[in-house]
Amino acid sequence: MVENVPSAPTQPQPELHPATQKVDLGHIVIYTVLITGAIVALVPFLFTISMSLMNLTEATGRALLPSTPQWSNYIIAWEDANFGEYFLNSVIIAAITVSGQLVFSTMAAYAFARIEFPGRDFLFALLLSTLILPEAITWVPNFITVAWLGRVTPFQWINNWPALTIPFMASAFSILLLRQFFQQIPDELWDSARIDGAGHIRYLLQVVIPLSRAALVTVVLFSFIGSWNALAWPILVTTTPDWRPISYGLLSFLDEAGAQTHLRMAGAVITILPLIIIYFFTQKQFTEGIATSGLKG
Amino acid sequence: MSDTIISERTEAVTGAPTGVQSLLAGRRGRRIREAILAYVLLLPAFAIIFIFGIFPLAFSAYESTLRGLNKLVGRYDGMGNYVNAVGNLAYVLGFWLAIALVTLAVRHFARQLEVTRSHDEEPWLLALPAFVLAIGSLLFFRFFYTFLPLLLGIADQMRDALRAQEGEPGELFRRFLIENFLVPEVQQSFWLAIGVLILATVLTVVAFNKSPRSIRNGSYFAAFFTAFFLLLLAAALGWFTWTEIERAYAEAFEEGEELAIWSQLVTISAGITLLGLAWWVWNGADEWETDRRLFFRLGAMVLLIIGGWVLIAELPRAAAGGDEDWYYGLLNTVWYSAGSIPIQFTISLTLATFLFQNIRGKGAFRVIYFLPYITPTVGAAAVFRVLFSGRTDAPMNALITTLGFEPLGWLNDPTGLFQLLLGDAVTLPTWAAGPSLSLVVIILFGVWTFVGFNTVIFLAGLGAIPSALYEAASIDGAGRWHQFRHVTLPLLSPTIYFLTLYAVIGTFKAFTHIYVLRTAAALGTADTASVVIFDAMKRDTRYGYAAALAMLLLIIVMLLTVVNNRIASKRVFYG
Repeated sequence: MVENVPSAPTQPQPELHPATQKVDLGHIVIYTVLITGAIVALVPFLFTISMSLMNLTEATGRALLPSTPQWSNYIIAWEDANFGEYFLNSVIIAAITVSGQLVFSTMAAYAFARIEFPGRDFLFALLLSTLILPEAITWVPNFITVAWLGRVTPFQWINNWPALTIPFMASAFSILLLRQFFQQIPDELWDSARIDGAGHIRYLLQVVIPLSRAALVTVVLFSFIGSWNALAWPILVTTTPDWRPISYGLLSFLDEAGAQTHLRMAGAVITILPLIIIYFFTQKQFTEGIATSGLKG
Repeated sequence: MSDTIISERTEAVTGAPTGVQSLLAGRRGRRIREAILAYVLLLPAFAIIFIFGIFPLAFSAYESTLRGLNKLVGRYDGMGNYVNAVGNLAYVLGFWLAIALVTLAVRHFARQLEVTRSHDEEPWLLALPAFVLAIGSLLFFRFFYTFLPLLLGIADQMRDALRAQEGEPGELFRRFLIENFLVPEVQQSFWLAIGVLILATVLTVVAFNKSPRSIRNGSYFAAFFTAFFLLLLAAALGWFTWTEIERAYAEAFEEGEELAIWSQLVTISAGITLLGLAWWVWNGADEWETDRRLFFRLGAMVLLIIGGWVLIAELPRAAAGGDEDWYYGLLNTVWYSAGSIPIQFTISLTLATFLFQNIRGKGAFRVIYFLPYITPTVGAAAVFRVLFSGRTDAPMNALITTLGFEPLGWLNDPTGLFQLLLGDAVTLPTWAAGPSLSLVVIILFGVWTFVGFNTVIFLAGLGAIPSALYEAASIDGAGRWHQFRHVTLPLLSPTIYFLTLYAVIGTFKAFTHIYVLRTAAALGTADTASVVIFDAMKRDTRYGYAAALAMLLLIIVMLLTVVNNRIASKRVFYG
């Protein structure tokens, strides 16, 4: 019945009538709300950039814009406040974590999506249940585990990259997201690959992965954000600045720099910028990855 | 899936009777090969998730029974940490958790029983091996908890041995591992567990072979095992709580103190039972005709009032002696959750519905809204620290003073929101004063961060609603609001459910931005549960206590998930 009804032209149908709308009151309200939202979302960024270029008096006063941009603030933050080192640490940590997570999650997600094996439902339920665990429950046991591992294995864990990366090389969230995506690949592809003599590994490498670009990009971005954002765990397992990641670096700088607002803002920009850049390059696949991954419930 | 189709197809094609035997073998062989491949693919991810994600649960439970500062192995203290955290309520919690496990087991069992009835099957033979397996698993846990402290102690042994230069690290580790494993207690518990597990395996094989073919798929066995395991776990927990109460009484007797654990336990349990009864009577009322229904509803109300009154009177007394920081941490978490989620959802649902209309610049808006979510938390929080600083010249204060208001303390202000709105006329008690202004800024930060994420997910959900439904609604004369209310909302309910669950759990887990945004001047009014746990561990190095608090937080989060699922099962509409 529903399908036979002709469309009603006067209703504001989503995506049905491209760009023929007349400017009515409804649209003014809609644009006002949407633009207000965008301004609220953007204002903190504008403030940050502006303040990071001010001098000390302007930054602690009421100025909105710097009289002359102090680009040297960034150099001071980078060199004197050690942001260069923190930045490099975070890049290394993120690179190890993200690549590990990408490889391991893809493997596990493929097994869940395309192979039948005893205990699959149980293992999957186990994986799902880890999603609700608060991070706080892992702090004590994982710290003790890592401290113990550092004392009985030949290489150091605390104050070193293993403690900061290995626990995060697999994530239930990434596995779920990828599994959802892999399951949507039509079975016919697998049938024809099989007829061509391909096994699971070749099918995964040559068909599934190239088809799943959007989902993989989403996983990369999410795991990168997770790694870049990590704060509690790095505070627990780094006692010296040697392997301190940028989040922790910025936090300690916030407490040390005290009133030097302009330098704090420069530090914030250095912390924020990499993710913004990555986001702008990947946002198309990212949006697609979220929309198709079944995250919507 | 497709796999079986193919193999069946080939079987059908080459279905000559002589080839069946070898084909079956080949098919089974490929099954096994595929399963092995699957396990290999899963191994790295699961090894990491197990060691750093699942094992910590058991480890944390163990650690929470230990007292001791900054040590790998502390002194056993039973429920001491829990009592420090929530007072005598800890014992009540122990018993009621056991009861919840029993209920879970019974429900599991009942559901399986229904399947048995409808299929007319007799799976009872499988119950015995499942029971033995459940015992074996628990015995294995016992072995684990016996061996764990010795395993942890190897670190100290190795340090001493390395100082005395007794050998190479690798060789020493192997030596100590074997030495500790050969300790009589460990050996005893290990072989007992292994013995029972082997017995269970043998029994399982026998039972499966004797059972009719229809019930060999393992689902009955899994159901029996889960039910028995939960029951045994409940028994262990109940026994643990019981001995802890006895111990507390014995200690109190020695010191000549009075304890009221039993009476509190009985009173609170009675209160909870009354509430449960009220719920049951209220729901049961529907089955009767109208005049009786009223009677039942009234009865339910009476029960509710009595139960509630008993709880309100007794809970504070039982909880007295707990950790105030922890209570306020939980309260702040609730404020944070209740403050940020409704605002977040209203804004993001509005933005998503508007974005879904026929407008220009859709993509650009979406990119901008999502920006706060991908912004590194510490960076963004650093910015908010400047924007909402208590200084008179800070941007937010500059804005409101320009508009003619008094400057506010923002992040530095511990005053509750309701108190602030009421002014000095009335003084509210601390727990009723509402989220402090400091926490309000944190709520604003949470809203700012997550609105974009929710909007994008809502948009994806809206895109999945067939437009034919809107057409039908508009033919029926439904306006925009009615379309939203009767088409969009019901069809969006799975998305809303997912996001609510995600947001509620998220607010209870939230740590980073709160840790960065809290100030000394806010006097801990912005510290949520996670922050309190972190302080207990990092600042006070009370590992056992922090583990106990984390276990309590986990119980709360699990409870919230169950409640959310129950509500969802009634309200969510899966088109």
